[in-house]
Amino acid sequence: MSIRNLKWSRVGVEALLFVLALVVIIPFLMIVVNSLKDVTEAGRFKLTLPTTLNLDNFQAVFADGKIWRGYMNSALISVGALVITNLFASMASFSIQRNGSRLTHFLYYFFIVGLVMPVSLIPTIKLMMGLGIHNSYQGMILYYSSVLLPFTIFLMTGYLKTVPRELDDSGIIDGCGPLRLFFKIMLPLMQPVMVTASLLTIISVWNDFMGPFYLLTDGAKWTVTVSVYNYVGKYSSDWNLIFADILVVIMPILVLYFMLQEYIVEGMTAGALKG
Amino acid sequence: MKRHVRYPLYFILPALAIYVVLFVFPTLSGFAFSFTDWSSYSDEVNFIGFDNYRSLFSEGVLGLAIKNTLIYAFFVTIFVNLIGLMLALMLNHNSKMSKFYRTAFYTPVVIAPLIVGYIFTAIYSPENGILNNILRSVGLDFIAVDWLNDSRYALLSIIMTELWRGAGFAMVIYLAGLKTIPNDLLEQAGVDGASASSKFKNVIFPLLAPSFTVNFLLTIINSLKVFETVLVLTNGGPGYDTEVFNTLIFRNFSRGNWGYATASGLVLTVIVSIIAITFLRVLRKREVEM
Repeated sequence: MSIRNLKWSRVGVEALLFVLALVVIIPFLMIVVNSLKDVTEAGRFKLTLPTTLNLDNFQAVFADGKIWRGYMNSALISVGALVITNLFASMASFSIQRNGSRLTHFLYYFFIVGLVMPVSLIPTIKLMMGLGIHNSYQGMILYYSSVLLPFTIFLMTGYLKTVPRELDDSGIIDGCGPLRLFFKIMLPLMQPVMVTASLLTIISVWNDFMGPFYLLTDGAKWTVTVSVYNYVGKYSSDWNLIFADILVVIMPILVLYFMLQEYIVEGMTAGALKG
Repeated sequence: MKRHVRYPLYFILPALAIYVVLFVFPTLSGFAFSFTDWSSYSDEVNFIGFDNYRSLFSEGVLGLAIKNTLIYAFFVTIFVNLIGLMLALMLNHNSKMSKFYRTAFYTPVVIAPLIVGYIFTAIYSPENGILNNILRSVGLDFIAVDWLNDSRYALLSIIMTELWRGAGFAMVIYLAGLKTIPNDLLEQAGVDGASASSKFKNVIFPLLAPSFTVNFLLTIINSLKVFETVLVLTNGGPGYDTEVFNTLIFRNFSRGNWGYATASGLVLTVIVSIIAITFLRVLRKREVEM
């Protein structure tokens, strides 16, 4: 290929990337500008700036959209789920990866099956009723833990392959029992993968719709994404309000993503390719 | 010194307990419930043999749901991977701009699919939607159609929505795979006078095999489980033209026929397992051969 051709193909690539980036960015721009317009203007979905600034859309959303309630529910459930998945998955992965026996191999693949299988939500309702945790925060926390444990174990087992066994030995020489070895030496070493696992848990719980939609009949416990479904059902043609609601709901996740993206993207891809 | 390190197996127990009780058990009990008339109307649950399956297969909607889900999964898997790989190849270098593009292309992945559905409801709006406005402004009026209510385009519109949402995920997996290819290997190929396409075929493609496996498997499995975008964009319509597994399950669930809905869920589980196992076998075998 001559230099000149190379230059032209570089220009082509840059132009294509630019256009594709617009395809991703324009929908977000549409949300932002239209969330500030009045009802008729927002219904035209134009990308122009609003003629008058209607900040009261946000006021209406916060007053009527169960946003604070939703934020709180999402935070509570995701924090509960991330504590359980992080603690139990790291313990399980440690034993699975370090033992490397036939039994632990089998258990590893038994967990991995949960990555592929669809969740059986309807029988879960019955189970939760039987356990007395239907319509409760504990129920939702345990549900998400069971769904997210397989991926977290997958991620952490992959990560532990990179933590040398010599570190275990030094702890054992110092006289650590298994519990002290795990909590004093392993857990601090696993911090990066725990950050990744926590972020993925938060994002999964925040964005999930099917779980609460099937499992929570009590509207007061709905997570913030389910509140959008409800809100749109109520104001189906008031696009100014819908866009404001959407913006308010995606903003925390976007901020989290922009701030900590290397943990999310690199931590996850490293785990996915190692497994 | 003889090493006698013991890693206790009971460390696995808490995770195993939660997973078995809340994930595995419902799947197995679902199998049992699918043979019953369990519903929201009565407290009694009676064994009814294969009745649920018989009516499921004779009603015809299941066939449509299988067909639509498979068409959707096929095109989404192909194009998410094509676009993702193309983006990864274009962005496989370290510069400020490429970091910006990577961040931008991954952003839709962190947005809830439900919300993506609402965003595209607005975009596909026939009169004022951005898509048709752009098409009209470049003189393509004849393809400015009613994207969601015309049965010829509804499934296509849902597929395009998923490409917007999912391509960034495939991209980051491919980028991670490309990183594992040593630079001097590529340069070596360049010195040998390998053209771009043969470089791709003989150097990049074989070394990317693990990323292909991960990406194909994840896209195909996730696309078989599609729900929110379909629910919001078309709710399975027009007619049953975009009905997929999870909208069918939900429809039966909200009618109160829980045993019946569980049976339809089980058919999905079986199909997902068969496809996942087959795919994993084929792709792993190919990886070894290369």
